[in-house]
Amino acid sequence: MRLTKRFCFLISFFLIFGMTLPAWAGEPTEKIKQTTEKILSIVKDPALKSPAKAQERKKLIRQAVDERFNWEEMARRALARHWEKRTEEEKKEFVSLFADLLERTYLNKVEGYSGEKVRYEGESVDASYASVKMKIITEKNVDIPVEYRLRKGAMDWLVYDVSIEGVSLVNNYRTQFNSIITQSSYGNLVKKLKEKTS
Amino acid sequence: MKRLDLELAVGLFIIAGIICLGYLSIRLGRLEVLGNKGYEIYAMFSNTGGLKSGSDIVIAGVNVGSVKSIVLDNYQARVILNVSENVKIQEDAIASIKTKGLIGEKYVEITPGGSDKAIGPGGRIRETLSPVDLEELISKFVFGKI
Repeated sequence: MRLTKRFCFLISFFLIFGMTLPAWAGEPTEKIKQTTEKILSIVKDPALKSPAKAQERKKLIRQAVDERFNWEEMARRALARHWEKRTEEEKKEFVSLFADLLERTYLNKVEGYSGEKVRYEGESVDASYASVKMKIITEKNVDIPVEYRLRKGAMDWLVYDVSIEGVSLVNNYRTQFNSIITQSSYGNLVKKLKEKTS
Repeated sequence: MKRLDLELAVGLFIIAGIICLGYLSIRLGRLEVLGNKGYEIYAMFSNTGGLKSGSDIVIAGVNVGSVKSIVLDNYQARVILNVSENVKIQEDAIASIKTKGLIGEKYVEITPGGSDKAIGPGGRIRETLSPVDLEELISKFVFGKI
């Protein structure tokens, strides 16, 4: 009887700790927080606000984003079925084009920062995959739900997809790239991307 | 003897009628009594937005299966999908719930991925997108513009 009691205690001890430990650590959320704060500090920095420093500011933001985003995985997922057919050089070229495209599209939005706040809404971890939910609260008190999907690589948790208002970035580009490639060719897609990023 | 013939004919006729009725109800109700071909995978959605069991699963607009059931699992919706045998779903495929037309019925759309690993029976589509709540978006648009 006493033994079973002790056994129960031990089991519940492990259960409680086993379950709460990941919630305490919250590693993916922590990583997203770090990057977000880094970018916010760059955007808020008055020393970098002058037009002369615009280039430097862009570079700093890009660096912070590069640390957290897995461009290759994102590009691979966006290209989906057409990724395997590419040669190594084409893949490399595509990854850098894709990263530039995202920079072009979203960096302006980050630079237009005007006092939005961020609230973290929890995360879910499943083996080497995780998703972090957060809300961006604008000055007018409108919530914009954002979800980051991360994957644990060799070293760190890296982002491979972002959903804003339930619309996935990878899915958006996947359907667009697919229709461009099936209607014309991969070469045409690269041409279009180059036009956009140059 | 003649009377027996008549009763036999009526009986056979009624049995045939019942069989026809059974067949019809199975076909119309989309019940799968005769063993369904295909395999089951599941996906977790934070909101199904009115998806029902029996809803279509679609890749590039082509029907590739149907939703078998939807159950609540840890305050999320676990949607069990029955996919045709000859269709492979890659590990990085994305499942999203969409609406036919502006206010039509809901269906599951799968955008195939590029991974060479396919999801086996009982596996999970990890990447899911819940339906965009049109009402919420409109209200955001309306109230956001002050």
